[in-house]
Amino acid sequence: MELLALFISAILVNNFVLYYFLGICPFLGVSKKIDSALSMGLAVTFVMTITAVVSWMINHWILIPYKLDYLQIVSFILVIASLVQLVEMFIRKASPALYQALGIYLPLITTNCAIMGLALLAALKNFSFLKTVTFGIGSGLGFTLAIVLMASIREQLDLSDVPKPLKGAGIALIVAGIMALAFQGFSGMIK
Amino acid sequence: MAAKSIAQEYLKGLWDENPVFRQLLGLCPTLAVTNAVINGIAMGLATSFVLIISSVVVASIKKLIPSQVRIASYIVIIATFVTVADRFLAAYFFQISKSLGPYIPLIVVNCIILGRQEAFSSKNSVGRSFVDALGMSTGFVLALLVLSGIREILGMGTFLGYQVMGAWFKPWIIMILPAGAFITLGILIAVALLIEQKTKSRS
Amino acid sequence: MNLSTRMVLVLTTVGLISGGMLATVGILTQKQIEKNKQREIKAAISQVIPGTKDSGILFEEEDLIVYGGNDETGTLIGFAVLVSGTGFQDKIKLMYGMNQEMTKINRLAVLEQKETPGLGAKIASQETFLQFWENKDSSGALKLRKPAASSSELAASEVNTITGATISSEKVLEIVNLSLDKVKRLKKEGRLKKEDGHGS
Repeated sequence: MELLALFISAILVNNFVLYYFLGICPFLGVSKKIDSALSMGLAVTFVMTITAVVSWMINHWILIPYKLDYLQIVSFILVIASLVQLVEMFIRKASPALYQALGIYLPLITTNCAIMGLALLAALKNFSFLKTVTFGIGSGLGFTLAIVLMASIREQLDLSDVPKPLKGAGIALIVAGIMALAFQGFSGMIK
Repeated sequence: MAAKSIAQEYLKGLWDENPVFRQLLGLCPTLAVTNAVINGIAMGLATSFVLIISSVVVASIKKLIPSQVRIASYIVIIATFVTVADRFLAAYFFQISKSLGPYIPLIVVNCIILGRQEAFSSKNSVGRSFVDALGMSTGFVLALLVLSGIREILGMGTFLGYQVMGAWFKPWIIMILPAGAFITLGILIAVALLIEQKTKSRS
Repeated sequence: MNLSTRMVLVLTTVGLISGGMLATVGILTQKQIEKNKQREIKAAISQVIPGTKDSGILFEEEDLIVYGGNDETGTLIGFAVLVSGTGFQDKIKLMYGMNQEMTKINRLAVLEQKETPGLGAKIASQETFLQFWENKDSSGALKLRKPAASSSELAASEVNTITGATISSEKVLEIVNLSLDKVKRLKKEGRLKKEDGHGS
């Protein structure tokens, strides 16, 4: 029950993009077309889930027992960078079709602060293993939801007459603001 | 491309290549910590510290690093100084470190820093890299200051905690909410573009 | 020197230097950071149990810690409960202090909250919310009064609801009532004991 609440709140109430402001770069950069946004979202969800598992193990099996918490930032970023590489190599071998779909987005994920943010937030909140994994999947799906919604709005925006200085990032951020406002309505739904 | 003077190297970070308004880099911290001016300043200074030191270090050892492992080395160097900043704040400015939460460690994935190493410090002298990093930092701090200033004044009627609006003023709560961050930054970026277009068309 | 040896060499050196630096900084700041964390908890305890000179952990689990507060002679004068639960937006972490019999709540302090600024965030404000939690009867469950009344009109087990932030007020009440139940049960079962090594 507690896990379900955490899962739903990670998607809707404390959405990674619209509440924690993590992963803004891909959120603005890869949200011009719905299908590429969806691929990016799924790639992020995938990497986030694995990162959640691995970073929890590193934190609880190595860093905390040996009191090495000052190595947290360095080890998390190195793990994420190498994980992305491994995932990329694995997908290329295992499923060329999936690689075609996700391929170009994977390297971009290394510098996506949502992944690092996930590892750090889970460590900061002192989540148990199951909670960390739930949080990882939920946050990834929350990111996917936000970026796909954004892309579908932007596809419509292309057809309308936006004032020139607002074109691109300006209007995208304002739309994100209105989305954040709408998501605010989900607050308090978790009992 | 003609070599820039040192002054130009510094000034470009303030406007022409302002990391937030013009290059759209480092938006996550820009949005997340600008609900109060004090948080914006602390974040700006911590990022500047990491950016300036990393740039100097990278510029001084650039010849020793083979290009295949340069990104990995930069990341380790950046992560080291981020940890130093994070621990320093937690030890001596506990309240600020608490209110910034995970956003200080997240400086490590701030694209401004890795971006400057890759685009500038790895190709230029130590001195120039220092000036470049200083300029970018000033630009970043200014951007955070403008954004957090607008949000704190309109959202709470205060600036750095001091009341600046009269009693008649009813705070716009939306400015403190995430939505306010997105909308204000969107408008500011549009204004920056507008100014740029106007000055370009005149010259 | 060929390329791959140089690559390995450079990465190892960078790693070693950074590891060394981090270990130094880590050890240098460790004590101060620990001290900051402890000072925060101690300040909260002496706020919710007036007259505390010394405190220790009696019970600890995820989201719930019970501290015992002692006066200068080392006699137990009350309990402080540090508890967190889901609020309107994110977790709310709060601490309340009770007398020895657990029949009276001295004070409530909100340590961490991310409720809506200007509305739910008022749960951390002395004026609009916390003052109504002073010296409340905690022998049974507490209740919310809505609409808010003046302090003198409130019953001994009633606290005021914040106008415009009913849900946040209810969440705080829920967190307190749930933990109150649990802490009383722990006391009855004799599980509130000072663990060795936690005394400070």
